[in-house]
Amino acid sequence: MTAHQLCFEDVAIGDEIPELVRGPLTSVHLMRWSAATENWHRIHYDFPFAVEHDKLPGLLIHGDLKLQFVFKCLMDWVGDNGWVWKVSAQFRDVNLAGETLTICARVLERERAKDFGIVNLSIGIRNEDGDESIRGSAVVALPYRGGPAVPYPFQPAETAKVAEEA
Amino acid sequence: MTPLNDEVRRYMGLSTGPIEASEPVEKGEVRRFAQAIMDEHPRYAEERPDDRYGAPIAPPLFPALMFRRPLGKPDPLLHAGDPDYDGLSLASHTGLPDLPLPGSALVSAGVEAEFYRYARHGESVVQRSVYRDIYEKQSSRGGQLLFTVIDSEFRTGGGELLLRFSYRYVRR
Repeated sequence: MTAHQLCFEDVAIGDEIPELVRGPLTSVHLMRWSAATENWHRIHYDFPFAVEHDKLPGLLIHGDLKLQFVFKCLMDWVGDNGWVWKVSAQFRDVNLAGETLTICARVLERERAKDFGIVNLSIGIRNEDGDESIRGSAVVALPYRGGPAVPYPFQPAETAKVAEEA
Repeated sequence: MTPLNDEVRRYMGLSTGPIEASEPVEKGEVRRFAQAIMDEHPRYAEERPDDRYGAPIAPPLFPALMFRRPLGKPDPLLHAGDPDYDGLSLASHTGLPDLPLPGSALVSAGVEAEFYRYARHGESVVQRSVYRDIYEKQSSRGGQLLFTVIDSEFRTGGGELLLRFSYRYVRR
């Protein structure tokens, strides 16, 4: 197990995990993502189309790209021996080219499973004005201190949750 | 205005068979992807002695975005001269036919992802997708919004589960 591996015992309800900041995300960043994924949706690079045809306030930062940042933020937190199992995100508002995004998460629940701990979190993305564009939840698995890494590939069906100890 | 008419309703439950990505997980594609998400972790380029993945890997959501139009399939940019053409073709990524709603604006509304295993460089990836739901909802600004929910599952060519994705889109 790596020296800096987060363990289930290190986590408390209400903890906020280290934030991830990405930006300013310019139209060039958006074009790079569009090219990497062959996503030619014009609302991400064709300003006249986005504004005049689709009546949007500007070029939109891709939802898929924002989701990558959420995973990155959670993966950095759980470490190599943890696992990011589930992420659910509601895209509540758009983010526009030029914005800087902050990805954040807070621990809501802890549960013990047989071989590892389960942590439920709320997640969010806000811009530099504090406007929240994504709200959602995540479920991650963390190793117990002194225990083995979370199984890889991840196998949730082999665990049996037990009540959280007081 | 994008009414949920009978023609659109017929797409609900429509699914694909197994569709293999036109190329396996390629080192260069992984590099471009990792650079675009600004996560240049060495595990995406090389196998590290302390890794437990058995090979260089792709970022977790890469398999869901590696499905591209194979050579010989109709080029959607043939319609690029149409002022209403938005450049987006879900058909390219999911294998599902686009809904017959030309001219309606489409944006992502949400996603649910379940992640089980990284795809390794060189592995083939197979997906299956289905239109799980299509429904209308009143917009807070008036008018009807049409929501589409697409479920996709991604496995290696050998059948190992990589991730599941449920994407919700809204058309205005």
